[in-house]
Amino acid sequence: MNRAIVVVSTLLFIAGSVSAQKMTEMYIPIGHSPGLSGKFTTLGKVTSVNVPAKMVTCTYGADSIEIKVTPRTIIWLDKSGIKQPNQIGTFADCSIGRTIEVKYVNNARSDGGEAEWIKVQISGPQ
Amino acid sequence: MGRSTYAFAFLMALLLASFPSCHTPPPPPVDPRDALIEKGRDIFFTETFNGNGRTCGTCHPAENNFTLDATFIGSLPRDNPLFVAEFNPALKENFENPRLMREFGLILENLDGFDDLANEFVMRGIPHTVSLSTSVASPKGPRTGWSGDGSPGDGSLRSFATGAVIQHFTKTLNRIPGVDFRLPTDDELDALEAFQLSLGRQSELTLPLRLKGTIARRGQELFMDSTVGKCNLCHVNAGPTALFGGNSLGNANFNTGVEALPDQPARLTPENVPTDDGFGRPGDSTFNVPPLVEAASTGPFFHNNAIETIEGAVAFYDGESFNNSPAGRFLRNIDPEGAGIELDGTQIVEIAAFLRVLNALESVRLATDALKASISDKVRTKEQAKELLRTAVSQLQTGVRVLSEGRLHPNAVQSLLKATQIVLAALEHGHDKDLIKKALDEANQARSDMIEP
Repeated sequence: MNRAIVVVSTLLFIAGSVSAQKMTEMYIPIGHSPGLSGKFTTLGKVTSVNVPAKMVTCTYGADSIEIKVTPRTIIWLDKSGIKQPNQIGTFADCSIGRTIEVKYVNNARSDGGEAEWIKVQISGPQ
Repeated sequence: MGRSTYAFAFLMALLLASFPSCHTPPPPPVDPRDALIEKGRDIFFTETFNGNGRTCGTCHPAENNFTLDATFIGSLPRDNPLFVAEFNPALKENFENPRLMREFGLILENLDGFDDLANEFVMRGIPHTVSLSTSVASPKGPRTGWSGDGSPGDGSLRSFATGAVIQHFTKTLNRIPGVDFRLPTDDELDALEAFQLSLGRQSELTLPLRLKGTIARRGQELFMDSTVGKCNLCHVNAGPTALFGGNSLGNANFNTGVEALPDQPARLTPENVPTDDGFGRPGDSTFNVPPLVEAASTGPFFHNNAIETIEGAVAFYDGESFNNSPAGRFLRNIDPEGAGIELDGTQIVEIAAFLRVLNALESVRLATDALKASISDKVRTKEQAKELLRTAVSQLQTGVRVLSEGRLHPNAVQSLLKATQIVLAALEHGHDKDLIKKALDEANQARSDMIEP
């Protein structure tokens, strides 16, 4: 059998390149994700939100970056700082002034890049 | 200083040099990698991360080949932290299923998230952590756990411990870091990774081996025959990597239809056992290929502990669940005759016998390494030497078990039993090099009963 056909056929039933399920990530505080924080994520403050376009601008240091939130983006509320259980959040939780950490799809960090997950720090009662 | 003083000092130097036994040579310097592995070993077996009392070794005990089965679980005291859901009220619901744990060795994982703890979970066996250095790397990224995606962060083995602490070590289902547990530090993750990678084989075998046993030798032929057993296509050299048409796929994921098996033990109970969708969220029904060299001693088999024996695990590939699965259909499509895997009873036992002998040979190798290390100058304390002897005993007993259960190589079994007795005597009566050398002779004899030099 032609080798190319074999390879293509093989790929049909091998796991695709979807990102791994990492649901315990929900409980890891902002800035502490092993192998990601400080390397592939952005950690900063929300400085503007474009609700219709589902875009968030995050400022870190002297720089800022726009992040695209899609229906596949998972948003978590990091309440570990106030000793409360972390929760699933929504786009509305990405409000101006809040600290967030963003991991990009395929670690492709770029302006306007798609977020795989966003952690939103909750530092007081909502 | 006068001339006589110089002469005295010279004479003393000569005197000291002529009696080398008077001063013990300094121990060799500690290799930084060895020190990291030792640190990782200590964390793996003793660190609870301020959680519910479990350590990594709770579910991956060294004395049971770094995995759990119902028999081993049955030997544990009731207050063992494995059973924390039975005595910690905060973990009574939705943390474990004690019945499925005790009866089938299954643990609960929230791999698709923590939104609906009562319904969104899977029940999985404990994968052993041996020979990980051959099975984690994959062209598509690191593969950890049964579905290859068991790790948060960057998905690596290093990050695995962080997820495990959150899932399994917590004091309550709130899972608040700093309250219900503490997360491993970067240094601890480095050490845990180094320790885990140090376990078992560091490289793949090269098949075929020159086996002496008639049944195991035939089993090896069937294993490697891409028109009969076809095992070597997805388990090259009995490892975790696949090779099709000359192209290596590395440590890949496949949907082999295990979830479609009828009469899965856990599903024969009235307990809630949701379908396990494998890799990803939502899952794609694929699971990661494990190495087979250590398989015979680390059952039950498959992600859901669906099959108890290695013979049953081989027979699975002759059944409808596999042959109707995407992986089974693929194998049929590339077969010149359009055939799936069709094995008769004798052939199933022969392939299983081959896997039993592979496992026994690996156990003898590990026991031999431990025995040699115990009398090497790298050992610094008596406790280190004893730990190595205990490892040797565990591996020798594993060799005895996998061979005996298949009624294979009775002479090798006797040699391994003798070696075990000798090492136990060395443990009891003090570290004696002559005893260790006798044990090594018996282990070598067992090996030469199974394989040509």
